[in-house]
Amino acid sequence: MADNKLIGQNYTTPDLVAKVTGKAKYAEDYRVEGMLFAKLLVSTHPHAKVTFDTSAALSMPGVKAILTADDMPGAAVGATLGEGVQASAQAERGLTNEPLYQGEPILAVAAIDEKTAAEAIEAIVVHYDPLPFVVDPIESLRPNGPNARTQGNVWMRPAAPPAAPGARGAANDARGANAAGTGAGAAAGAGTASGGGQAAGQRAAAAEGSSSSGRAAAAPPAGAAPSAAGAPPAPGGAAPAAGAAAGAAAARGGREGRGGRGAAGAPAPPQIAVWKWTDEDFAKAGPGQLPLGKATDEWVFGNVEEGFKKADLILDETFMTQSTGHQPLETRTAMAYWQNGKLFLHGSTQSTVQTVASVARWTGLTPDKVVIVSEYTGGGFGSKIPGAISMAIPALLSKKANAPVMMRITREDEHFIGRARPGILARVKLGMRKDGRITAIDMYAICDNGPYDAQGDGRSAGTTISLAYQPETMRWRGLTVLTNTPPKTSQRAPGGAQGIGLFEPILSKAAKKLGLDQVEVRRINAPAGHAPFGPALPNGKQAYVTSAFVKEALDKGHELFQWDAKKASASGKKQGRLARGIGVAVSPYSGGSIGFDGLFIIKPDGRITFQSGIGNLGTHSMFDVHRQAAEMLGQPWELCDVNFGNTAKNLPWTCISAGSQTAHAMTRAAHAAATDAIKKLQEIAAKAHGGNPDAYKVAGGKVSGPGGSMTFAQAAQKAIEYGGKFDGHELPEDINNFTKTSAKNLVGQGLMAVAKDAYPRDGQSQSFVVGFAEVEVDTETGNVTVIDYTAIADVGTVLNPRSLKGQLFGGSMLGLGHARTQRWAYDQQYGVALARRFYQNKPPTILDAPLNFAADAVGLPDPETPTGIRGVGEPPVGAAYGAIMNAIADAIGDEIFRRAPVSLDIVLNALENGGQRTHEALTAHI
Amino acid sequence: MDLLRWGRSPWGEWVLTHVSWSLFWASLFAGVLFFVAHASYMLFSAHRKRSTAETDALEAQFKNLPPKIERHGLTARLFHWVMAAAMFVLLFTAFLPIAGVKFAWVQWHWIAGLVLIASILFHIVHATFFLDFWSIWVGPKDIPELKAEMLREFGHDVPGPKSGKYPLGNRLYHLAIVFAGLGASITGALMIPRIRTGLVARNPYYLSDATWGITYVTHGLAGVGLVGLVIAHVYFAVRPEKWWITKSMVLGFITRRQYLEHHEPSRWPVGSKSSSAKSAGQA
Amino acid sequence: MAVIRDVMPVFELYQPASIDDAIKLLDKHGADALVLAGGLDSMDWLKDRLKKPKAVVDLGQIKELKGVKEVNGGLEIGAMTPLTEVVKHPVVRDKFSLLMEAAELVASPQIRNQGTIGGNVSQDTRCWYYRGGWTCYRAGGNICYADTPTAVNREHAIFNADRCVAVNPSDTAPALLALDASMVIRGPKGERVVPAEEYWIGPGVDITRMNVLAPNELLTAIRIPSTMAGAQFYFEKVRDRQVWDFPLVNVASAMVVSGDKIDKIRLVVNAVAATPHRLKNVETAIIGKARNEETADMAGKMAVEGAQTLRHNAYKVPLMRNLVKRAIRGGAGATWTS
Repeated sequence: MADNKLIGQNYTTPDLVAKVTGKAKYAEDYRVEGMLFAKLLVSTHPHAKVTFDTSAALSMPGVKAILTADDMPGAAVGATLGEGVQASAQAERGLTNEPLYQGEPILAVAAIDEKTAAEAIEAIVVHYDPLPFVVDPIESLRPNGPNARTQGNVWMRPAAPPAAPGARGAANDARGANAAGTGAGAAAGAGTASGGGQAAGQRAAAAEGSSSSGRAAAAPPAGAAPSAAGAPPAPGGAAPAAGAAAGAAAARGGREGRGGRGAAGAPAPPQIAVWKWTDEDFAKAGPGQLPLGKATDEWVFGNVEEGFKKADLILDETFMTQSTGHQPLETRTAMAYWQNGKLFLHGSTQSTVQTVASVARWTGLTPDKVVIVSEYTGGGFGSKIPGAISMAIPALLSKKANAPVMMRITREDEHFIGRARPGILARVKLGMRKDGRITAIDMYAICDNGPYDAQGDGRSAGTTISLAYQPETMRWRGLTVLTNTPPKTSQRAPGGAQGIGLFEPILSKAAKKLGLDQVEVRRINAPAGHAPFGPALPNGKQAYVTSAFVKEALDKGHELFQWDAKKASASGKKQGRLARGIGVAVSPYSGGSIGFDGLFIIKPDGRITFQSGIGNLGTHSMFDVHRQAAEMLGQPWELCDVNFGNTAKNLPWTCISAGSQTAHAMTRAAHAAATDAIKKLQEIAAKAHGGNPDAYKVAGGKVSGPGGSMTFAQAAQKAIEYGGKFDGHELPEDINNFTKTSAKNLVGQGLMAVAKDAYPRDGQSQSFVVGFAEVEVDTETGNVTVIDYTAIADVGTVLNPRSLKGQLFGGSMLGLGHARTQRWAYDQQYGVALARRFYQNKPPTILDAPLNFAADAVGLPDPETPTGIRGVGEPPVGAAYGAIMNAIADAIGDEIFRRAPVSLDIVLNALENGGQRTHEALTAHI
Repeated sequence: MDLLRWGRSPWGEWVLTHVSWSLFWASLFAGVLFFVAHASYMLFSAHRKRSTAETDALEAQFKNLPPKIERHGLTARLFHWVMAAAMFVLLFTAFLPIAGVKFAWVQWHWIAGLVLIASILFHIVHATFFLDFWSIWVGPKDIPELKAEMLREFGHDVPGPKSGKYPLGNRLYHLAIVFAGLGASITGALMIPRIRTGLVARNPYYLSDATWGITYVTHGLAGVGLVGLVIAHVYFAVRPEKWWITKSMVLGFITRRQYLEHHEPSRWPVGSKSSSAKSAGQA
Repeated sequence: MAVIRDVMPVFELYQPASIDDAIKLLDKHGADALVLAGGLDSMDWLKDRLKKPKAVVDLGQIKELKGVKEVNGGLEIGAMTPLTEVVKHPVVRDKFSLLMEAAELVASPQIRNQGTIGGNVSQDTRCWYYRGGWTCYRAGGNICYADTPTAVNREHAIFNADRCVAVNPSDTAPALLALDASMVIRGPKGERVVPAEEYWIGPGVDITRMNVLAPNELLTAIRIPSTMAGAQFYFEKVRDRQVWDFPLVNVASAMVVSGDKIDKIRLVVNAVAATPHRLKNVETAIIGKARNEETADMAGKMAVEGAQTLRHNAYKVPLMRNLVKRAIRGGAGATWTS
C-alpha cells in the first residue's frame, strides 16, 4: 500500500523517551506508604518433603508475616502458564511443601526491609526429607532410573475418547493432533462459546466449559476469564506452531479437556505415569544414538515406510538442544496492595488484559477483583505471558500482613523461578531423493519438561519441521519427561526453535552428501500457499496455513546475502588457521490469532483515544496496531493517544502478547473498530446533513459528502448528542464481556468505535523467516565469529519497518546464543544448578552479534487477513539457530557436533579428533 | 572452642568436615607437658631401682644362659623402624602446614600412609604367626606387675614381679598406638580414592557427605592423638634407664644381666618362640 | 538454619584514608575483616551471604593506592588503580602494551571502570562449585566437587591440581608475570616485596588461598621493572563470549629477539591452574632458537606436557598448545574489545 501514511512507515513510539531517559517506571520502581519487602526461602534440595519452624523468625522485630504453601489456593487449573500451556491439577502453586527443584520457593517472609527479611529466613528451622530426583531425562528412562515426581516421570495423554458429538470430537482430535483451532470451523465454535479468543479454537471452547463448571458466579470479566485462559493457547490456534499448539496439544490436548471438564467429548487430562525403557532399548541404540524405546505420544501422515523406499539417501542422526533460561533483564519483581477488597498488582508481564484472569486464578480471586498495572516490562520471551505465578506471593502476603508488599526477585531467584526453554533430545531419520526432495522424516523427541505442567515443545518441534520442509511423509513420536529442574515454559518459538535447530544440521548434511545447493534444497521443500503441516486429521487431511511465501523469501535472501558469491569465496574455504562457512535455514512459527476486540473513542476535541490491552513488553505492537485504525480514518498520528498498561483503564478484550499474535490479531481488531467508526461517522454525517450514509467519505480527519462535511471533532459532539450506539450506550452483541465492561465505563465521551474481529480466516496464520549466515572458525581456538547474517521475513504486510528489524535482530541474537554459547549446567550428583549467573550461563553479548546484520521482508500481504499483516516475534530464533550451526558445519565438517550450544570446546575437541565429535551425546545440562 | 569443624553440604545441611586444629596444639602441649613432668619427677623423686644384689644372685643362678639374648628379630626391628619413619613423615606432612610451614604435602602424606599400612599389615601377620602373639598384650594377670611398678615409682622397694618379654609400659603404649594407628590408617585408606594417586579410580562419592565427615574427624583425632603418643615414645626411648631397650631395638639383643634384671624368666623363658635357645652370642 | 543466598549481611564499613589505618583495621579484625577494592569479587560473596565479615575495609578512599608512577624505566602501579586507567596510561601503552592488552580484555567496560588492577590479580577463583557455597577443600571442607565422575568442569585446571582443580581467572596476572613484575605488600611488620612468581600459591601449598597475602596484609602496588620494556609482546584471551567473560585459557609472552633468534622470553598461561602458569621449561628450550613455526610447534608441544585433564576440559590442552604456538609466532594480538 504505497499511499500509506502510517502502515509500513517508521515512527517513534510514545514510550521511547521515557525508556531511554530512565523515566519509565517498572514494577520495582514503585513505592507505597508502609510498603514491606518480601524475601523467599527456596529449596536447597532438588526433591524433598519439607517441614519448618518459623516461630523464631516471626518473633523477630520487623517481621510482619510469613506466607506458606498452606496459604496458597489450590492449583489454578486452566490458568495460562505459557504459550498454549495451561495449568493442570499437578500445577505449581507458587509455594510448596514438596519442592520439585532446587530453588523452588517454600515460603516468603514480609518484613520492614530486606535485611530483616533475609535474617528472618536464616532464623527459620527447616528440615528436608530427601526424595529421589533426576535432572537428566535419559537417566529417568533407564530401567531403574529415578522419577522426578512421586507419581512418575512422564506426562502421557490417555487415548482420545470416542469422538462424541461429531464436530467437537473431530475438532478435539484435530486439536489434540495440534491442528490447534483447526481452521475457522473450530474457531467459530469456540468463538461463540467463549465470546472471544476464537483463535483458541477448541481450547477456548473447552475453557468456557470450565467457567460454567468451575468459577461460574464470576462477574462479567470472569466470563472472560476462562477464555482468557483459553485464548492464550491461541498460539495453538495461531497454530503456532504448529508448534506450541502442537506440542502443547500433545500433553496439553488434555489441558483444554481439563478446562472443559464436563464438555462432551473433551479428552481426559494428561496424567503423570511411570515410563521406563528396557536394557535392550539402550543396548540396541548405536553409540551416541538415542535409544528408541516405547513412546507415549505419536502422530503420522502418509506412509513413512514407502517414503523411505523412495529415498536415495537416508540419514539417522541424534541431536540434543539445550535448555535455556528466558533471562529477561527485568526479573519478575512484583508489588501488591489491597484497596476495598481489590488487589492492585504492579508486576512485570507480557500481556496486560490477559494477565487478569491468571493472577485471579493464582490468588483465588475473581477477575473483577484484580487490577494489573504494568506500563513497562523488561522482556519476557514467553516467561511472563500472563505475568508469573510468583506474583501471587506478594499479593497474598500483602493481604496477610495488611500492608503493601514488594517482592524483588534477584538474578539467581530468576534462574530458578524465571522459567526456561525445554531442551530436546531427538533422533531424526531423514529420507531424501537425489533432487533434494524430502520423501520421509521419522522423528523421536524427548522433551526435558521440568517438574510441572506438560510442555508441548517436543511435539511442536515435529509439527514445525513438517511445515518448514513439507516432507512427503512423516512420523513423529515423543516423550515428555519430568525432571527436577526449574519449570519450563514456552520460550520465543517454543519447540519450533529447537526443531529447526536440531533438524537443519541434518538437512544440510544430507544436501551436502547429494551435492546439492543448500538454498536450492530448502526451495524444493519450501511450503507455499495453503501449505499443510502436522498430523493427518480424522478426515485424512492435515491442517494448513493461511499463506507462505518462503520461496520468495529464499530468493530475496539469496540475492541480498549474495549466496552464490559467498559460496564460491567462503564455503568450506580455509585460509591458514581460519575456516569459513555459510549456512541457510528456514524457520516458521505462529503468526497470529483472531477474534479479539477493538475499542477507541473519537473525542470532541478531534483527537482519538485508543484503548490498548496489549502488554508493553518491548515490542512496539502496543502502539503499532492502532495505526491501522488511524490509517483507515486518515487521522494524523499526532492526534492519537493510547491508553495502556493498567487494567483499570477500561481496556478491550485483547490477545496475549505472545505467540507472535498481536500484530495480526489486534490489527484485525483495529480494522474492525475502524470500520465501525467509519460507518458511525457516515451515519452521523447523514443524520446531520441528510442523504445516504454511503455517500459520505471519511478522509483527512473529516467526513464529507453531498450535504457538506464535518470534522471528527464535530462528529464526536454529534455522537454524544445522538447517544445510542454512537457514544457507547448501545454495544454490539458479539464483543467480549471484558470489552463490554470497559466500554460501559467510557460511555458518552465521544464517538465510540467498538467491534470484534469477526473476519473469516482459512487456515492457521504462520510467519516465516529465512536466515543466511557466514561464519569464520578459528581452527586453533575453536572460536566462531558470525561475520554476516541476513534475515528475510515472510510476515505479510510490514506494519512498522523499524520494529520489524528490531524483532528480527533480537530474535536472531537469541538463536545465535542458542547456537554458540547459551547453556545450562546441573550437577547430577546433587541435582543442583551450577550456572546461575549471566557469566555462567552465557547469553550472547553485543560483541557476539554478527559483524554485519541485514534484514528485510518479502512484504506480500497475507490473503487471509484484511490487514495483510502477520506477526514476526518468533520465527527469527530458529532461523539464526539453524543457519549459524549450518555455517559452522560448512566450515569445518558435518560430524563436528550433534548438540547445542556448539561451544568452542566441542569444536576444538572434534578438530583434534580428525573432525569426529567427542562430546557426550545424550547427557543433558553439562 | 569448637573441637569439631562443620560445613554445609551442597544441599545446605550441616556436615562435619574436620577436627579443630587447635586439638593438634593441645596434643602437642600434652605430650611436652608429660615429658617435662615425668623427667622432673625422675630427677627429683626417690624412685627406686632394683638392688644390684638381687640381680647378682639371679645371674649366678642362670649362668648357663648366653651372654646375649635376642629381644627383637631383624624383621621385627625393620618393621619398627620403617613404621617409625612412615609415622614421622605422616605427622610432619600433616601438621607442619597447620603449624604454618606451607608446602605441597599431600603426595608425601599418602605415600607414607601406604607404607605405614603395608608395614602394619606385615606386622600383624608376622606377630600373629611368627612371634609370641600374646606377649605384647595386657590383661588382668598384669595387675600385680602394675602395682609393683607403681610402688617402685613412688620409692618403695618391692621385689618382683617382673615383666615378661615386654615391660608393662611397652605394652600399654602398644595398646594405645594400636588404636590410634589403626584409626588413622583405616580412615586414611578410605581417603585414597578421594585424591589423585593414579592407583585407583577417583570416586569421592562412594561415602555420603555425613560418613565422610566422620571419617575425616576420626582421622584427625587419631592424628592429633599420635602426636602426643609419639612424643611420649621418643621421650622414653632417650631416657637413660630405658636405653637398654632402645639399644635392643637397634641391635636386637639384650645382655643376660639386663634380661635377668628386668624380666621374669618364667614369663619370658629364653628359648621360647620369641628368642630361641640359640643365643645371639653363639650364633 | 535455613539458607538464603541474597541480601548483604550486616557489617561495619570502614573507609580508611591511609594504608596504615587500613592495616591497623585489618590487624585488629583479623579473619573477621574483608578487604573491599573494586568490589567485583567481594560483592558476590557478600550478596550471596557466603561471607559474613564483621568489618569491611573499603580501600576506595586511600589516595596513595591509586595511580601509575614511572620508576627508573619501569612502572609502579597503585593497587587501587582502575583497569581503565591502566589501559589508558601512555607508558603502559608505549612500553608495556602487554599489560594494556590484558587489562583491555578484562570483563566489560563497566567492570574495567570499577575493577582495580590489585583486585584483578588477587581475585578469588570462579570455580562454580566453590562460588556456589559448597564446602569444598578451598572452603575448608574435605572434597573437591569439581573433580568427581559427574562433575561439570569444563573451565577447570589441567595443571598442578592438588585436590582442588580451580583455576586463576585473572587476565592481568599472566601479563604481569611475563613482565617480571613484583608485588609490594604492606603489613603490620612493614613492607615486603614479593616477585610475581611467588605471589600466587596453588592448592598444594595452601588450598584455601590464591596468594600469599595474610589477613592483615595489603597489596599496595605492583612494580614493573624496565627489563621487558618495549619487548615483543603477545597476549591472547580465548573465551566463550567476546565481552564480559573469564578466560578459558589466556597466554602472555614477552620476548626479546635479535635477528631471528630468541634472546629472552617470559611465557605465561593462565586459567589452566590455580596460579598463573609460567612455562620455564619452554622458555629455556627455545632461547637461542630461531623464531619460526618449528620453534613455535616445539614450544606448544612442550607447554602441555604433563597436563592432566578432567571429564570436560580436555580441549584446554590443544587450546593451550595452540595459544603458546601463537605467542611464539606473534603477529595479530588479542582480538580487540572495548
